[in-house]
Amino acid sequence: MIRLRRGRSLRHSRLQVVLAVVAIATAVALPVVLISVGGGVAAHELANIQNAGYQIVVSASGMHGITHAHSYTQRLLAMSGVTAASPVLSVTVDAFNHSGSVTPVLAEGVIPDQFTPTLGPAESGLFPSPLPLGDPTDSVHFANGTYTGPAAYDVLVSSPYAAKFGVLTGGKVLLSPVANRSLGISYNVTGVFGVPPTVLGPTGAFAILLPLSDLQAMSGLAGGASTTPDAADTIQIAVTGSVATNPTALNNLRADVQELFPYYGVSSLSQEAEQLQAASGVLTGFYLALSSVGLTVGLLFLALVLLRRVEADRRSIGIRRALGIPARSIAGEIVGDGAVLALTGAVAGVVCGYLIVEALAEWASAAVQEAARLAVFDPVLLSELVAGVVGLSLLAGAVATRAALRAEISEALR
Amino acid sequence: MNAAMAPVIDLVNVVRTYGPDTPEEVRALRGINLHIAPGEYLSIAGPSGCGKTTLLNLLGLLDSPTSGEVQWDGSPVGQRSDRARARLRLEGVGFIFQRFYLLPTLTARENVELPMRALRVPRGERTRRASELLEEVGLRGRERAYPHQLSGGEEQRVAVARALANRPGLLLADEPTGELDSANTAAILSLLERVRTDRNSSLVVVTHNPEVARRAHRHIGMRDGAILEDVREA
Repeated sequence: MIRLRRGRSLRHSRLQVVLAVVAIATAVALPVVLISVGGGVAAHELANIQNAGYQIVVSASGMHGITHAHSYTQRLLAMSGVTAASPVLSVTVDAFNHSGSVTPVLAEGVIPDQFTPTLGPAESGLFPSPLPLGDPTDSVHFANGTYTGPAAYDVLVSSPYAAKFGVLTGGKVLLSPVANRSLGISYNVTGVFGVPPTVLGPTGAFAILLPLSDLQAMSGLAGGASTTPDAADTIQIAVTGSVATNPTALNNLRADVQELFPYYGVSSLSQEAEQLQAASGVLTGFYLALSSVGLTVGLLFLALVLLRRVEADRRSIGIRRALGIPARSIAGEIVGDGAVLALTGAVAGVVCGYLIVEALAEWASAAVQEAARLAVFDPVLLSELVAGVVGLSLLAGAVATRAALRAEISEALR
Repeated sequence: MNAAMAPVIDLVNVVRTYGPDTPEEVRALRGINLHIAPGEYLSIAGPSGCGKTTLLNLLGLLDSPTSGEVQWDGSPVGQRSDRARARLRLEGVGFIFQRFYLLPTLTARENVELPMRALRVPRGERTRRASELLEEVGLRGRERAYPHQLSGGEEQRVAVARALANRPGLLLADEPTGELDSANTAAILSLLERVRTDRNSSLVVVTHNPEVARRAHRHIGMRDGAILEDVREA
């Protein structure tokens, strides 16, 4: 019966009620979208980090900033606990295929037998094993930094690239660091690799993989008077299971690597994961703070609706008090009305937020679609959001209750 | 649910002033002294604005005197908390207001159930009792009607049923038959009088109607906020 009566009292001023619910729903929908999409992307990136096959990464400021990549790899492999050290050089080159068309591709130079162990479980199935890139150690062509050994001229192409340009295993592709076909080098396509899901969009999907020394030589990053000798962008380090699962041991190894490369950045992925989680937490707090402006407006509107209702029901409230209905019971009804409105608005906001994210995943631009598809609707966080809104509505209800019970009974009955 | 005992009520030098120390100051009651024994049947009469309703509100603890004291069973009620006074009203006072004051969003039966619900009477019992009371006031079959669907007389009868819901020891009626025809007036007064007799309740009726006033056993006449006459029938 209480519910019935409450329903009737809310219908009393239907337009105000609808507007209050809409205001609260709008205020709640915004953080739902921001937090779910932002949290989803962060969780996806976190999963990528946690699923990587390497645990420590060496990097340098600036592009291709690591020098002597081959020799450092050997020194890293000599360290206790290291199972693989994979230097990676990433350079954009032009690829000319047999039909004569040219497209920029992301070329990654790697040492084949070091690259495979640093793949995570999600990636390892995407690459042929062992990598069919000629010399597994990339030492023959490298020839102790002289680059005088015979090159294999083997290359793997990504499946999107192969599909787009009809490139088949056994075919040829001409690679050039500049858009000049005459400077191109012909490579044998020895295989195709898959591309993991990414939020970066399709441009990152056109990629090739080739021996590190080949890419260094082709792109002028092999060494010389004016270039970086034996360059790489990062060195990814895989460790033994006992080190990977022991944070102290992993941190000690990271410190040893840092000692070896005092001028490079050395971080463990667990550190990166912690930083990402911290950043994600800060962003969530920022989104909530941003949304608090809208929520404040919504709740002020709710307080006004309740105050107007109290004013309109002044006599009814007076009658209840005259009959001896306890003040807490009257207060409970007013506060309950506010809570019902706030709960309705908050739940509607969550539903709206969900629908907005679904719409973005369906109809937005490609990058936004990817991000929206990664959205995570954390029931705990959403429940806390709804509970927070309902909790604040109690304050609005308390203000209205105070106004309702302030008047003298005989005055209220006039 | 037990009936409340009728209280001994004393008003000692009660003054009620509205808007004191303002240009709009109104002295509604000017030093009223009144003793009401349990089970008494009083009528209060007087011209409009003489303070009858104010006196009734003070008797029913809806209002507090500006000065003087209202005592229930020898105890000053002004010293009790709002909560305690509300409890006294709920358990001990049945009000029949001049303008009915039914809640427009509740049906006739829900209006009658309202005081019982506040006393946490079990649903089955309060529904049964509300139906019985509505039948007693001649509203059988109108339980589900809302106030706007009732005539003035029917509304007044619902108000009477609501006043009797918690079996109060003190019944206060402000023009209880103002909207009723003579047959219904007699029926309602008979009901109130029977309740008073059965439970030894006190009944205070404010009225302009000499026929209604004549049925009481004690007659109080008021003018300008003061009691001019207080006549007990032999």
